[in-house]
Amino acid sequence: MDAFGGLLTGFGVILTPENLYLCFLGSLIGTLVGVLPGVGPLAALALLLPITFTLTPVGGMVMLASIFYGAMYGGSTTSILLNIPGEAASVVTCLDGHQMAKQGRAGAALGIAAIGSFVAGTLGVIVMTFFAPAIAAVAIRFGPPENFAVMVLGVICTLYMIAGSLVKGVLMVALGFLTAAIGIDVVNGRERFTFGSIDLSAGIELLAVVIGLFGVTEVLNNVERVVKSTVVTDRIRGLWPTLADWRASWRPMLRGSGLGFFLGLVPGGGPVTASFMSYALERRMSAHPERFGNGAIEGVAGPESANNAAVAGSIIPVLSLGIPGNPVTALLLGALVIHGVQPGPLFITQRPDLFWGIVASMYVGNVFLLLLNLPLVGLWAQLLRIPYRVLFPVVLLLSVVGTYSANKNVFDLWVMLGFGLLGYVLHKLAYDLAPFVIALVLAPLLEQSLRQSLAMSPDGAMIFLQRPGTALMLTACAVLVALMFRRTKKS
Amino acid sequence: MFERALNIFWILLGGAAAAYAWTLGLVGSSGPDSGLFPFISALIVMGAGVVLLLRSPGEAVAPDFPRGAALGRVLGVAAGLAFMAVSIPYLGFAVAGFVTMIILLRAVEKSGWLFSIALAFISVVVVVWLFGRVLGMTLPRGPWGW
Repeated sequence: MDAFGGLLTGFGVILTPENLYLCFLGSLIGTLVGVLPGVGPLAALALLLPITFTLTPVGGMVMLASIFYGAMYGGSTTSILLNIPGEAASVVTCLDGHQMAKQGRAGAALGIAAIGSFVAGTLGVIVMTFFAPAIAAVAIRFGPPENFAVMVLGVICTLYMIAGSLVKGVLMVALGFLTAAIGIDVVNGRERFTFGSIDLSAGIELLAVVIGLFGVTEVLNNVERVVKSTVVTDRIRGLWPTLADWRASWRPMLRGSGLGFFLGLVPGGGPVTASFMSYALERRMSAHPERFGNGAIEGVAGPESANNAAVAGSIIPVLSLGIPGNPVTALLLGALVIHGVQPGPLFITQRPDLFWGIVASMYVGNVFLLLLNLPLVGLWAQLLRIPYRVLFPVVLLLSVVGTYSANKNVFDLWVMLGFGLLGYVLHKLAYDLAPFVIALVLAPLLEQSLRQSLAMSPDGAMIFLQRPGTALMLTACAVLVALMFRRTKKS
Repeated sequence: MFERALNIFWILLGGAAAAYAWTLGLVGSSGPDSGLFPFISALIVMGAGVVLLLRSPGEAVAPDFPRGAALGRVLGVAAGLAFMAVSIPYLGFAVAGFVTMIILLRAVEKSGWLFSIALAFISVVVVVWLFGRVLGMTLPRGPWGW
């Protein structure tokens, strides 16, 4: 099936009342999640994942994906009006967006953020339409050694992109692998690290870990401080940018779209990195860099475009290779597996309805989000008045329901609490939690590929160097590791 | 100090996990065995712990742990969740959730009684209705049947 035929199939799947409703609902929830500070897209996805258990795989994935890119749209609203990012990818939007709002240009900032998000989101999905099947067509020839090498490359790229200590990142990856080893070895049925516990023999529930690390940890970080902020509450006017705004913004939007898409593709990249790098790029390319931080519209247009394009880019490796590049896509991968679907090179040919349905829903979802974010921006601004003391007990209640609903097991609540406290402490000590989640999700496949590769090889580990594709990817890993050591030594 | 203790913990954890993985067997007659992958992972945990411990003290992060009222709020949230995990099997989700929310709102945020009870009641009713009724999920019930 070619891309156009596939896309037609996708629109056939998505243009049903039920799936359109779920796409709209996901976009609405995503915007809400983006708008409300203290509830990130990852925590929201984890909390709402159980809702999708009662839906079809297409409906469930359409809803979860639209929450992900919806949060990128909504995140700019709090950054601009409140100077508090609704989610991490909108941190840089605070710098110029809030300054614009203080100068009475909140409407222009919100407008260009929504339009930039729409342009980048749509461009990203157009490229994804053609790019993802091409990657899957190559990956379909992969055997266990190639799969192992791709996953190792994914982990190394994640480590390369993390901010902070490399050693701590490596430790988090290894800890993720160890945690994933708890339970029954699927190859021979032997119990590992269970110590006779029935609860542990089923393994550590991904949902409990993610809700703990990103939901509970976020609540703990937020309740310890009383956030005081300047809310721009004037009536929001002039959402449609002026000609001068357009002239200043169209190049940053296109650059942000390209950069964001590329960084979304790279494991460890994703929306957060994309928005920061886009801001740095725009400031460097500007003839008047001193305007940045004082209300430059390019500082809003570039990053907001980049983080939306990165969403489309980051979904490609998950669907076409089965490799998540960041914790949110790791959870999307987990959701597919829960729905009985195994993402990877065969996914597009085996489940064209699901793959093309998700792609088509992203076209539709971007239109929904533009409609939700421009005319309704005043409503979202009103939501910012909800105090966090009202919000956090509800988030915790949803965390408990979300965790419990996966296995109907109270033990998972203790896992959630344990990982929540662990995440809180590790966050204080500047550990990046993303590599842990990615390793936890990748570990079963990585281990299986390693064992299959070694079992089929008469020369042991040499099999990884004897196959050209594997050798190339592992060489790339070695280069990245060398670059990481060089960077660490310099810093 | 705290970070050094944590680094020692990583070393001990890695060492213990590696020793346990060794007992599972690293290589069997048909290739790699159950212990190989966790053994390698555990060695990496241990090695990373050693590297972090051997760094100069200046490189260590001084954690900004909360004190006073802020610490009380963090511990209050943790205690609230622990209470919920303990009480759910006996009280069911609705009652355990209601009590936990009141604890959180009263003890952590010092909200008024009326506000706490109203918010806890509305939140629990909405969650039970949405997840239990609309979505058909089985939420734990107390001895009174709900």
